Parts: sequence; C-alpha cells; structure tokens
Amino acid sequence: MEGGSNSKGTGLGGLFGTGGVGYSNADLAGVPLTGMSPLSPYLNLDPRYLVQDTDEFILPTGANKTRGRFELAFFTIGGCCMTGAAFGALNGLRLGLKETHNMAWSKPRNVQILNMVTRQGALWANTLGSLALLYSAFGVIIEKTRGAEDDLNTIAAGTLTGMLYKSTGGVRGIARGGIAGLTLTGLYALYNNWEHMKDSIAGQSL
Amino acid sequence: MEEYAREPCPWRIVDDCGGAFTMGAIGGGIFQAIKGFRNSPVGVNHRLRGSLTAIKTRAPQLGGSFAVWGGLFSMIDCSMVRMRGKEDPWNSITSGALTGAILAARNGPVAMVGSAAMGGILLALIEGAGILLTRFASTQFANGPQFSDDPSQLPPAPSPSPFGDYRQYQ
Repeated sequence: MEGGSNSKGTGLGGLFGTGGVGYSNADLAGVPLTGMSPLSPYLNLDPRYLVQDTDEFILPTGANKTRGRFELAFFTIGGCCMTGAAFGALNGLRLGLKETHNMAWSKPRNVQILNMVTRQGALWANTLGSLALLYSAFGVIIEKTRGAEDDLNTIAAGTLTGMLYKSTGGVRGIARGGIAGLTLTGLYALYNNWEHMKDSIAGQSL
Repeated sequence: MEEYAREPCPWRIVDDCGGAFTMGAIGGGIFQAIKGFRNSPVGVNHRLRGSLTAIKTRAPQLGGSFAVWGGLFSMIDCSMVRMRGKEDPWNSITSGALTGAILAARNGPVAMVGSAAMGGILLALIEGAGILLTRFASTQFANGPQFSDDPSQLPPAPSPSPFGDYRQYQ
C-alpha cells in the first residue's frame, strides 16, 4: 500500500499486500488478531477465512462429511465378488477351450467347457470376495480405532489382509502376502491422490 | 449402524451381493470352525488346525452361494421395481420365490416348486417382521401426552381436548 517501505510484515498477511503498513495494536482497539498483519483497522478479520478452496457443506447434526468404510464395505465386497465371477468365467472359458481344443464340437465338449466356466467363476468369485471381506473388516476396525480416515488406513488394511490371507504359509508366505497387499493398496492410494500430488509438486517447484 | 438406507436400484444389486457374501462367509466361518474342531483328531493342536482348514475351504464357498442368492434376488427385485413402477413387499416376496425357483432349476420341477415356496415364505416372514417393527416403533413414538399428570393437580373432570385425540394409530 505504501510501496513497501517496511519489509517487516511477512507471513500470511503479506499475501494481501499489507506488508509495510503495520498497524499497531492500539489502532485496532485492542482486538487481538491471530498471526497476521491486518488488512485495515476497520476490517479486522483473519485473512485465512478469505481463502476458499475447500468445499463447504452444511451438514445435518450427526452426519459425516463422507460415508465411512462400513457403509461402503458391502459394496466393495459385492463388487469384488462380481468382478471375480466375471474374470473367473473368462478364464474358465479360456482354459476349457484350451483343454478341449482337439475335440469336435459336440455335447460333451460344451458340457466340459461349461463346467470349467462355472467352476473357475465360482473359485475366483469366492477368492476375491473373501479378500475384499478381510480388507473391509480390517479397514473398518482400523478406522474405528484410529478415529480418522485417510490413505494410511487403506494401506494398513491391505497389508494386514495380505498377511492374514497367506498366514498359513509360514513366515515367508506372510511376508510375501503383506508385500503384495502393501504394493496393491499403495498403488491404489497413489492413483487416488494423483491430481492432488501433481498440484503440490508443481507448486513446490515454482 | 445409523439409519441404513438402501442404495438406489442398479447399485443395490452389488450391495446386496456383498451383504449376502458377508453373511454367508461369517456365518459359515463360525459354523465350520465348530464343525472342524469337533471332527478333528484328539489334541488341541490338531483340532485348531482342522478348524482352520475347514474355515479356509468351506467359508468362502458358503459365502459364494449366499452371494449368488443375494445378487439374483436383487436383480429380480430391481427388474420388478422397473416394470411395476413401485416398491412394495410383494416385490421382495415374488423375487424371493423366483430366486428359489431359478436356483433349483436343475433339480426338476418339484424341487423348483418347493424351493420357490421356501424362498417366498422366508421373504414374506422378513417383510412381515419389518412391517410389524415399523408399526411397533411408530406406536412407541405416538404424539400423545408424554408425562402422566399428577392426579392431585388435575381439574376434577378432565375435559377432552378440543382437537380430538392426538395419537395416531396405523
């Protein structure tokens, strides 16, 4: 405002170009302001409240901002189960065709392929469904005990799931399962936060 | 669980599938744990190992069967919602019966009829319990006088309210 004669006022207030003025506390009638140089003596509000880059919703009492893990658990499990069934059926079709490729088109061949499809579909659906069940259960438990919800929960739940799923295979199996779970959920967390991270890296390099 | 509302229709299928899988896997896990424990050779170590093996092999299978039931039920339910244009208990009962019939289709018509009857009756019981529960809850929260008045403070002849009885009976 005054051409920056005094460069003392830094920090958040400096963002608004009030660097040099430096109103004293007496000018502000003794109203304490938190950690900033004020915009003007007549406008004593914290400039932090002028920044609006987050969503602001008015929520009903007792409602959460987003749905928790428990509300999403059944959807996750069902989605994994159905995905597993679809991919398992495809795999069964592939295996069945490969196994019977020297048979003529006939009823036994069709039945064999169909059996393969249903068996593989059920197998994959069960496997993926129980993995998702373990993951959701761990996720809900971690969320409730920590009382917070972020990507750390995802990664921890994934690692624990892998470890428990392979827990009958000895220490080596546990380690392998844990690493697999850690990798998969870590990649998922990275993918989820990609835009956010890209922005912050770009902001740092500027 | 606070006020668990059902998902809108196409996603309800996935949700019901997952719920059924969870129910089946957890219930089957408990059941198979006990069964494996009892059917193993003597010795705590053997018994625990047998229990674990039983859970690992059988619980996901039971979950999968439940998931098929739940998913098919929900698919038929959603189709009926779409066709009839309304959601009521009859949808659930019919889709329960149809699901039972379809899943028993390879065992012959008699088994289909029996299975359909089982499914329909089961879903009718569930829906009936839900309706009864809602009624019971609504009479609990009726808008009547909330506190009993002290009889010594009452006027000699309590005149009826000019607005009639507030309580709602369904």
